[in-house]
Amino acid sequence: MRPRIEKWALVVAWAASAASPLRAADDPALLKDLTAVIALLGLPCGQVIGAVRQGNNDHVATCKDGNRYRVFVNPEGRVVARKQ
Amino acid sequence: MPASPIGALLCLPLAVLLSAACAGLESTPASVPPGGPAPGSVAQGGTTPPSATPPQKAAQPLDATRGGAGASAPPGRAATPAASAPARTGIAKTAAPASAASRAPASPAPASQAPRKESQAAAPEKPAAAPPLDLASLQQRLRQTNAIGVVTKIALKNQVDDLLEQFRAYYQGRQHTTLAALRQPYDRLLLKVLALLQDGDPSLAGAISASREAIWGVLADPVKFASIRD
Repeated sequence: MRPRIEKWALVVAWAASAASPLRAADDPALLKDLTAVIALLGLPCGQVIGAVRQGNNDHVATCKDGNRYRVFVNPEGRVVARKQ
Repeated sequence: MPASPIGALLCLPLAVLLSAACAGLESTPASVPPGGPAPGSVAQGGTTPPSATPPQKAAQPLDATRGGAGASAPPGRAATPAASAPARTGIAKTAAPASAASRAPASPAPASQAPRKESQAAAPEKPAAAPPLDLASLQQRLRQTNAIGVVTKIALKNQVDDLLEQFRAYYQGRQHTTLAALRQPYDRLLLKVLALLQDGDPSLAGAISASREAIWGVLADPVKFASIRD
């Protein structure tokens, strides 16, 4: 009984950890924001069609043209878009 | 990250610029045509009395070549010579197509052309009197607008700070450039802001567009720029 409980606890913990890089593809406002930011920085993208949240104000955006950028705010307070 | 602090961060440099522009506007008596700003009009540091620029004439050609200060020209206009000079050029460009159309109805009345010319002479220096800028309202609108996302606001703030740094370097002699060269990044930044706002918040975009020349007048004046930096 005890190993089963531990096994299920591990499964739950794994599920929680797997969910932490939250897929933000369903948030149109975020996708629009990331699209605007990448365009503002003069980088080719077209439209952000998906984004994965890496942390607070830290996302990996997938563009329609295939480019992927990590968009984040660096410690100096500047928005950076780094091509992945 | 909550939106309001980020909005405040973004609004601060824009608000500083706008407050200085507002101060410039407040330094001269503001006059607002009943019909609001004419199309293509821009806010200026100085103003024109309502009698000198009726709404019909506010859209008149902003022809910089029509010389002579009109009798109706307010003394306050001289308070912003720096702003009026570049503004005059920009306004003349934008109002050139309107000038041809507006001249046609005036031709049959030579007697009315004299005051008309005076108003037209006044127009280039003080084109379409825009409504006075409500800075507090504009700040609030910028803070609350949903047209720009949080990350975009931060990115815009970064670019505003960069632009201000360019002006700072220019006035301190660290950057060998000209004001005309600095106008380009300024216009580009304004265009970016307007492009972001025009669909989601067109009224705010219009307000910012109307204050374009007023803000430039502040940036282009070393005294005013130094005051906004402090």
